[in-house]
Amino acid sequence: MYQYVIRRILLAIPTLFLVITLTFLATHIRPDYAEQAIAQGVQGGDRNKALEQVRKTLGTDRPLIVQYGDYLTDVIRGDFGKSFLTKRSVMYEIRHRLAPSVELGILQIALALVISIPIGVISAVRQDTWVDYLLRFVAILGLAVPVFYLATLFSLFAFKGMQFSPPLITTAYRDLWEDPTVNLKMMLLPTLAGTLAIGAVIMRLLRSQMLEVLRQDYVRTAAAKGLAGYTIIVRHVMKNAMIPVITVLGLLVATLFSGQVILEQMFSIPGIGLYLVTSLRQNDFPVVQGVVLLVGLLLVATNLVVDLAYAWLDPRIRYS
Amino acid sequence: MAEQALETGPVAIGAEAWTLRPRAAVLTTVRRFIIRKPLGAMGMLFIFIAVAAAVGAPVIARYDPWEVFHSVNPDYNPDDPFSAPSPTKLSRLEAPSADHWFGTDTAGRDTYSRLVWGARRSLKIGILALLLSTAAGTALGVMSAYFGGWFDTVMQRVMDAIQAFPALLILLLLVTLTKPSESSMIFALGFIGITQVSRIVRGSVLAQRAMPYVEAGRVVGCSDWRLMGLHILPNIAAPIIVIFTIGIGSVIIAEASLSFLGLAPPGISWGATLNEGQRFVYSSPWQAVFSGAAITMSVLGFNLAGDALRDVLDPRLRV
Repeated sequence: MYQYVIRRILLAIPTLFLVITLTFLATHIRPDYAEQAIAQGVQGGDRNKALEQVRKTLGTDRPLIVQYGDYLTDVIRGDFGKSFLTKRSVMYEIRHRLAPSVELGILQIALALVISIPIGVISAVRQDTWVDYLLRFVAILGLAVPVFYLATLFSLFAFKGMQFSPPLITTAYRDLWEDPTVNLKMMLLPTLAGTLAIGAVIMRLLRSQMLEVLRQDYVRTAAAKGLAGYTIIVRHVMKNAMIPVITVLGLLVATLFSGQVILEQMFSIPGIGLYLVTSLRQNDFPVVQGVVLLVGLLLVATNLVVDLAYAWLDPRIRYS
Repeated sequence: MAEQALETGPVAIGAEAWTLRPRAAVLTTVRRFIIRKPLGAMGMLFIFIAVAAAVGAPVIARYDPWEVFHSVNPDYNPDDPFSAPSPTKLSRLEAPSADHWFGTDTAGRDTYSRLVWGARRSLKIGILALLLSTAAGTALGVMSAYFGGWFDTVMQRVMDAIQAFPALLILLLLVTLTKPSESSMIFALGFIGITQVSRIVRGSVLAQRAMPYVEAGRVVGCSDWRLMGLHILPNIAAPIIVIFTIGIGSVIIAEASLSFLGLAPPGISWGATLNEGQRFVYSSPWQAVFSGAAITMSVLGFNLAGDALRDVLDPRLRV
C-alpha cells in the first residue's frame, strides 16, 4: 500500500505541473484582448499610451518564457497575485468565498447519493420491469436537462405551488452557523437542481455495476446457502458494485463545479462560481487566473484522494 | 453475430439478391429499429425535428424572429387625455395563443419563431465542434495507442491535466480571452471534447492492436500510417459514431450555458432566450419553459440516439 501511495503521489506531480502550465498558457498566450479591455477602462489620454501602461502593469511586454518563469515561482510560493479591483491578494478574496461553494457542493453530493443509491439498486434488482424502465428514463432525462432549466422550473413550481421563493440578493446570504434558516432557504433550490445531473450519473453506473456483480458465481453461492435477498444485495453485491462509483465521484466534482458557476449566479450565492463570472465581466484577470488554477489544483487533489481510496477499498488495484 | 446477419438480410447470394434489396430492406430495418429500440427511435425523431427546424427555419418559423409585435392597448381612450399615450402596446411576455404558439418574449417577438431559428445556432455549433474534436481526438487517440511509449505517456498526462479543469471553466476562459464569436466558441467547445474522444478511441485501438489482422498487415509490409488509416480506423468506426452523437448533446448544453451566462456572441440562441425568460418566470413562465424544453428535447434526442446506436453497434462501449 505504501508503495502504491508513493507511486500515485509522484504521478500527480507532472499533472500538477501541467495544470499550472495550462492555466498560464490559457491566460497569457493571447493577451491582446485582455490588454485592450483594460485599456478601454482607462479614462482619457492617449490610447496607445494607456495600452503600453497596461502592458507594463500586466508584465505582458516581456517575452512569454520570462513571464512563465515568474509565474511558476509565484505559484510555488503560494502567491496568486492581487485583484485589480480590490487590490487585495487573490487568495484572500477566494478564501472568503469558499464556504458557500463547498457547502453547496457537499449538499448536492450528499443528496445525490441518498437518492441515487437506492434507485440504482432497485433498478438493477428489478431489471427490465416497468420500474426499471421508468427510473432509467428519469435518469437519462436528468442528463439531458440543463441545470439552469431545472433550476428555473423548480423556482417556478416552488413559487406557484408553495409560495416559496428564496431571497435573491447576494447580501441576504448568511453562513450556515450564523443563520441556518436563511442559509438553507437559499441553498434548497440550487441543491435540488444540481443534484439531478450527478444523481443520474451515479444511478446509471451503479445499476450497470450491480448487474455485472449480480451475475457472479459468489452471489449464486450466497443465494444457494440460503442467505436472505436483502443480505445478499447489501452485504455482497453492493460492496463490490460501489467501488467504481467512488472513482466517478472524483470526476463528478468537476461537473459539480460547472453547475455551481451557473447556480450561484442564478440564486445569488456569493461563492467562487459567482466570483469567477463577475471577475470575467469586470476583466479582473488575476482573479480569473487564480480561481482557474485553484479549481484545477483542487480537482487534481480530489482525484488523488479518490484513487487512494479506490486502492484501499480494492486490493487488486494496489498490487497490479 | 448470427442475429446481425439475419437482420441485414441476404448478403451476397448473387446479382439478383442485390437488385432485390433496396427500399423494402431499408423500411424493414427502420421498422425493426423502432420496435427494438423505441427510445432510440424517439431520439432520432427529436433530432429530425431539430434538424428540420434548423434547415427549414425560414419556412417553418411563422414570423421573422426579429419582428416586434404590437396589440391594441385597452387602456387607450382618445377622449381621455390621462389615459395611456398610445393606441397600441408592445405585446411582450404574452401567453401562447393562435397567433403566437409559444407566446411572445420580453421584447414582444414571437417565441416560436425564435426557437425555430435558434436551432440553427445550436446544431451548427454542436456539429462543427464535434467534427473538430472527433477529428483531432481520433488522430491523437489512434497515434497514442498505436505508438505507445513516451508519446502515449505524455499525451495521457496532458489529457489528465486538461480534464482536471471543469469544462465550463475552460470554456469561460477561452471564450472571454478572445473576442466572443461563433468560431471561437466552436473552437473552444471542440477543444474540450478532444480529451474524451481521444480516451475512448485510445481504448478501442489498444484492443484492436492485439488483433491478428494488425499483425498480418505488418507481416505483409504495411506502413504504420497505412495500418492505422486503412485497417484500424474502419474497425473503430462504431465507437466514433457513438461519441460523435452523444457529444453533440453535451456541446448543445455547453453552448446554452454560455449563452445563459450572457458570455456568448449575440444572435438567436436557446440559452439566451431561456435567460431572458427566466427573469420573468414567476409572472409569465412561457418563454423560459418553451426554450428550456427546446434545449432538453434536442439534447435528449442525441443522447437517446447515441445510446441506441451504441447498443446496436458496440454494446460493450461505455460512454
